[in-house]
Amino acid sequence: MTQVVLFNIFNGLIVGAFYALMALGLSLILNLSGVINFAHGGFLAIGGYVAYTLIPYVGFWGALVLAPVLTAILGVLVERVLIRRLYGRDPLYSLLLTFGLAFIFEDGTRFIWGAQSLPFQVPGWLMAPLSSDYFFLTGYRLFMVLIVAIAVIGLFLILSYTKLGVRIRAGTLDLETVSVLGVNVRILRNMNFGMGVYLAGLAGVLAVGQLGLQPTIGSSLIMPSFVAIIVGGLGSLPGTLLGGFLIGVASGVTTVFFPSATEAVIYVMMAAVLMVRPRGLLGEEGRF
Amino acid sequence: MGAIDFNKRAANLLVWLLLGTMPYWMTAIGGYVELGSRAVVLGLGAMSLNFLLGYTGVLSFGHAAYFGLGAYGAGMMIRYVAPSTGLAIATGILVGTVAAAIIGPLIIRLRGVYFAMVTIAFGQVFYFIAFRWNAVTGGDDGLTGWTRLPIDLGFTQIDILHNPIAFYYLVLVLFAVAVGIMAFLLRSPFGRTLLAIRENERRARFLGIPVDRHIWISWIISCGFVSLAGALYALLNNFVDPRALYWTQSGDFVIMAVLGGMRSFWGPLLGAAIFVVLQDYLSSQTENWMSFLGLFFVLIVLFFPRGVLGIIRRKVTP
Amino acid sequence: MTLLRVEKVSKHFGSLIAVNDVSMTVEPGELRAVIGPNGAGKTTFFNLISGFLTPTFGRVMFDGEDVTQLLPARRVWRGIARTFQITEVFPELTIRENLRIAVEVASGYRLRVWQSQDADGEVKARVVDLLEMSGLTEKADRLVGELAHGDQRATEIMMALALKPRLLLLDEPTAGMGDQETYDITQLIRKLHRDQKLTIVLIEHDMRVVFHLADRIMVLDQGKFLAEGTPQDIAANEAVQAAYLGKAAA
Repeated sequence: MTQVVLFNIFNGLIVGAFYALMALGLSLILNLSGVINFAHGGFLAIGGYVAYTLIPYVGFWGALVLAPVLTAILGVLVERVLIRRLYGRDPLYSLLLTFGLAFIFEDGTRFIWGAQSLPFQVPGWLMAPLSSDYFFLTGYRLFMVLIVAIAVIGLFLILSYTKLGVRIRAGTLDLETVSVLGVNVRILRNMNFGMGVYLAGLAGVLAVGQLGLQPTIGSSLIMPSFVAIIVGGLGSLPGTLLGGFLIGVASGVTTVFFPSATEAVIYVMMAAVLMVRPRGLLGEEGRF
Repeated sequence: MGAIDFNKRAANLLVWLLLGTMPYWMTAIGGYVELGSRAVVLGLGAMSLNFLLGYTGVLSFGHAAYFGLGAYGAGMMIRYVAPSTGLAIATGILVGTVAAAIIGPLIIRLRGVYFAMVTIAFGQVFYFIAFRWNAVTGGDDGLTGWTRLPIDLGFTQIDILHNPIAFYYLVLVLFAVAVGIMAFLLRSPFGRTLLAIRENERRARFLGIPVDRHIWISWIISCGFVSLAGALYALLNNFVDPRALYWTQSGDFVIMAVLGGMRSFWGPLLGAAIFVVLQDYLSSQTENWMSFLGLFFVLIVLFFPRGVLGIIRRKVTP
Repeated sequence: MTLLRVEKVSKHFGSLIAVNDVSMTVEPGELRAVIGPNGAGKTTFFNLISGFLTPTFGRVMFDGEDVTQLLPARRVWRGIARTFQITEVFPELTIRENLRIAVEVASGYRLRVWQSQDADGEVKARVVDLLEMSGLTEKADRLVGELAHGDQRATEIMMALALKPRLLLLDEPTAGMGDQETYDITQLIRKLHRDQKLTIVLIEHDMRVVFHLADRIMVLDQGKFLAEGTPQDIAANEAVQAAYLGKAAA
């Protein structure tokens, strides 16, 4: 029994890591530009499919490096051509636009790569269990957690110590002042969107090794990412990270005791958090 | 003033005339009566959403939840409890409205994109319940094994099951009642407090309007009518499945409202009609209708943000 | 009997102290001005009275009752109305509709879904009164968002007045206006004060307006109380002059 619980907690942590990676990207974009990027799941799927296509040519490691970058470039283009026009307008419009993009991405990947699940080759030595007692501790899973950790630490380092990162954080608090100080807000938002999408692309490459590759992978991961943001706290990146892991573990544990509630439990958790703290666990309390 | 009043009356007359005679011209232009029923039902959903979206200024992206609850409420009433169309509709409304009233206090303090995000996430609870609770809801396959039933008026029976035109008129009557109530509310002092909140929440608060409470009431009214639409949708199809609760359905309602024009009363109905016809056409023409639908969203946002009626109104009143 | 008694209020934002231990009493029928250089904490002080913010320390007593923790809407019900530095109106509605909403809410009709002819007639008559009082009658059916700044401000003041307040708080009523508009608004405020015996507290930058209108003036500087007195007292006060560094063109 302990083993089963441990197994599911560990599973939950891994799933939580995906959610966190997705949600961090969403949060970055939401905090600076006020856009809920519904297409984020679509970017994740594209990251996965691009990696799948690249592997025969550049191998797994090459794909792991290249696919998120290519996804981010697509993100930068989308922001430049479409989303940029909607800043300063009712948030309704960016919501609808990214909603439409999510449809196009999902259907587009289905059109190009087909509706069926595709096999995804991960180096064999990564797939072997590390210990016979804890069969679920494969190298790949540890590896994923490691990559997520590196990405998260990297993100926080960028935000804390680079010029771009400091500007993004300042812009999140007060975009007007940042713009008055001579920062080009258009470029800032563009780079920030690219960073967010990069994280989605990275999550995509990692996710397909674990969950398999199909066109609907994006739309099934986007809602939990929303919940991660809400639970963790609106406007707080550490909160988003915490939220991702919390809901991952919660659904992992629920799988053991009440499997049919695996998906629903995170929404119940969200309701509980909202009841106590309307702006989430680490969100800032504001009256308006 | 006089000219605008006249225009409004003329528009109202035209809408009711078109709706009232729909079964007689729909087939002539290549449609079918069920398509008209579908447009009216989804139009009611979009107009209900717009009570909140366009007239209270609150961005809900989770109305599918209450639409779906209305649908399941109606379907399960007939399937498990009592074979009565009237009871089914009443149950659907009750289930959706009560759920909205309970969830309301958790969300009414949030605004803008956050409100949208939380409402859409909450909707997913009901989706997963419907999806997972196989034994009762039929799970992914949907709730089957029931049909709408003839309405017994005592002296006569109306066969809404086999006669699609009779069912259309039942839908239309309920639509008229719902829409009439919404119009009545919007013209009342209470309705004007909602406009005030939409226009400027801070001013509304400092006029002494308890804004959160009024948003809660508006939310419940809006969700109540959308659950009526859901109940009718279940009866229309003699079937409910979890997709009626899925978040993409919420997006459909929002795009209908925007497409027709959020700031006009009839806009969402027009938007729904265009949406229904387009979806019907696309899904019969191409496998990739989802891409076209997505493209449609993008184009509307970029080129028709005020919606069809918004554009017309701009041209009429310079 | 004192209408408003602010007792030693402070407001902290993190380590910043925007208002520091300030007290004020306002008698019924008084017109009080609150002045001070930029960053003196005037608007924060106002926000503590109107309920936009709650003080970190101290109390706000209105008509003998403690309203420190009450939400804005409840303070409005007790009779505290306010306008904002950046005009807050309903831009896509007409002046008439703006005022009508204010009158209806003030009459306690905010939850009514049906109104008798009589009640409706009374509301409309009151709206007409307010329009005439402010000289906005001719523009009554235009959208507020399309009007000049001065007319928008006048609309906002009349909306606050529609609430039949016992205390009216005006945050920089002439901010961003030209000379003519400033004059018109000043005349409107004076008229309300004289004819309606309204108690008014206002923040103002324009010293001409302040000295023209105020019975008494309170000066804040860097969040703290600096001086209080009649316009003559304040004009002669050296500490006040020092705080303004001669910026106040009397």
